Amino acid sequence: MSMNARDVGKKDGSFEREPARRVFAAELRECRYQFKDGDDEKSPTFVLLPTGERANRIFLVGTLTEKQRQGEQNLFYRGRVVDPTGTFFVMAGSYQPEAMQQIAKIETPAFVAVIGKPNIYQKDPASTPMVSVRIESINIVDKETRDLWVLDTAARTLDRIDAHAKGGGKDIGKAKEQYPTLNPAVFKKMAYEALAQIKM
Amino acid sequence: MDYSETAERISRKFSAKGQTVDPKKIEGKLRRLVDEFGVLPSEAERSVTNELLKEFNLPIAGTGTGSSPGGGTEQKKIADAIPGDWVTIESRVVSLSSPASPAIAQSGILADESGAIRFVVWAKANAPAMAEGSWYRIESAVVDEYKGVPSLKVHSGTTVKELGTENPLIPVPVQVKDLHTGVGSVRAKVVQEWETTHDRMLQSGLLADETGTIKFVIWKEPGKERLEVGSVYSIFYALVDEYNGRLSLNLNTATLMQEEGDMPTISGGEVAIRGVIVHIAPGSGIIKRCPVEGCNRALSRQNYCPIHEIQPNFVYDLRIKGWLDDGEKTHNILLQRDVVESLTMITLDAAKEIAENNPLGMDEVFLRMRDLLLGRYFVCHGREIDNRLLVNACERLTFESGEHAALLNRAGGAS
Repeated sequence: MSMNARDVGKKDGSFEREPARRVFAAELRECRYQFKDGDDEKSPTFVLLPTGERANRIFLVGTLTEKQRQGEQNLFYRGRVVDPTGTFFVMAGSYQPEAMQQIAKIETPAFVAVIGKPNIYQKDPASTPMVSVRIESINIVDKETRDLWVLDTAARTLDRIDAHAKGGGKDIGKAKEQYPTLNPAVFKKMAYEALAQIKM
Repeated sequence: MDYSETAERISRKFSAKGQTVDPKKIEGKLRRLVDEFGVLPSEAERSVTNELLKEFNLPIAGTGTGSSPGGGTEQKKIADAIPGDWVTIESRVVSLSSPASPAIAQSGILADESGAIRFVVWAKANAPAMAEGSWYRIESAVVDEYKGVPSLKVHSGTTVKELGTENPLIPVPVQVKDLHTGVGSVRAKVVQEWETTHDRMLQSGLLADETGTIKFVIWKEPGKERLEVGSVYSIFYALVDEYNGRLSLNLNTATLMQEEGDMPTISGGEVAIRGVIVHIAPGSGIIKRCPVEGCNRALSRQNYCPIHEIQPNFVYDLRIKGWLDDGEKTHNILLQRDVVESLTMITLDAAKEIAENNPLGMDEVFLRMRDLLLGRYFVCHGREIDNRLLVNACERLTFESGEHAALLNRAGGAS
């Protein structure tokens, strides 16, 4: 994002921004299927969550435990953000200058909120696919925000599991097809364990 | 498939016009289109008919369905004229606009008791110039579609006669929700004014009545005036266009009457949205506004107002434009100065101080506010108009142990 005043007003009411889905690391890690909605070069790309929802963008809060500066010409940052269920792999490259500046300033460990786009990578056809999140924004937050995110994400995950059990939606059908061996009940257990880690 | 019946029908149509066509020949053409080229039978009938009409130099029926191709022109009311029709209408010129191309002699809006339609007189038509407010009988014009909107075309085969009647027309305004592309009349209130995004734009904003809201625009033209925010207007014969699936009113053609008093609008409903601020847009933080009475537009970094040019005596203001995301939908939010002050605890005076004494200037205020708000949970209260939430109060969300317990129950329950 540039800070140029000329950009003001470009986004009028007609633009629909893709919502940032709430998903725990343990669910995001299971994503294997990525698709485009439409044939246009600019059509959004989605990863399909195993609980049956498309995600073009996600919002996550956790602890940034490690960050690494990499590359010479093409400088970029990699980081690990840990939630109660696992680890998100995040990155910011030169195409996300604002995100790079933000992550450069943050000292680990810290609670961070990340808005970003998930992508599925595979080093070579033999290796296990990896889900990483390209950061749009990263910001230091407090523990209360982390706890609120765990509640929010548990609630959204349970909603998706309920919808999956009922069937219906086309993304749910797609999820059953793409992830035939995954039982959404495991994500219910995951949500419970995440909630249980917050002290009452 | 049997084509003889269709062929007979076409042949009869032409004998009615004094031409003889061999049904066998027609049948052969139909068969070729349908069997060889996979054309739908109705489309084949239309295309064969048009080909013959051309051959005999008869007027072509436009895009109409095969029901009465070339069947002459009927006298119709505007409301009944559909694209593809050849029509004769008696109507009043209610608005003239400057033609968009040299190929066009006149363009504007025609109306009768039943409704209104856009029209174009081709320069090649050699038709007499029509005057705004007068009634004309327009014989054998074609109704076609341009960008999904019906439009009446006056071409060289059309006759235009002035009627000399003095019949004043009073259009019946519809409700905002009933507007559709073409021409429309409404009674509505100006509920928002937006920053103009184009040099040629005089004003844009939002109109509302009890049933809905619609965007409006007025382009700069001599004699055009801005609407007053908060006032109610009767708007006769505005152009209704569609952009990105949304309707928009172009008021340049319209007759506007400002009315006394107020009217209820749909925007009365307050909403509270709980979500995360996922983006803070450029143009947030401390901004400069145009000091000209009634303008108040945001200035560029170089103190440039799109209307009043360089304004060194600008006025400072605070605002935040961004996106509040509830996980299902992202809401465009706009926070005014008082909400920004209470949320960030940075007052306008403090922000001015930061902007004037810091190497990053106004950007420093933007960055501090971004670091305070981005990625955090809020509940924003306000009115949502046309996908934008005008926030009048906003507070940080706090952790509720009751909610935590309820979720633990839900997740731990029978699995």
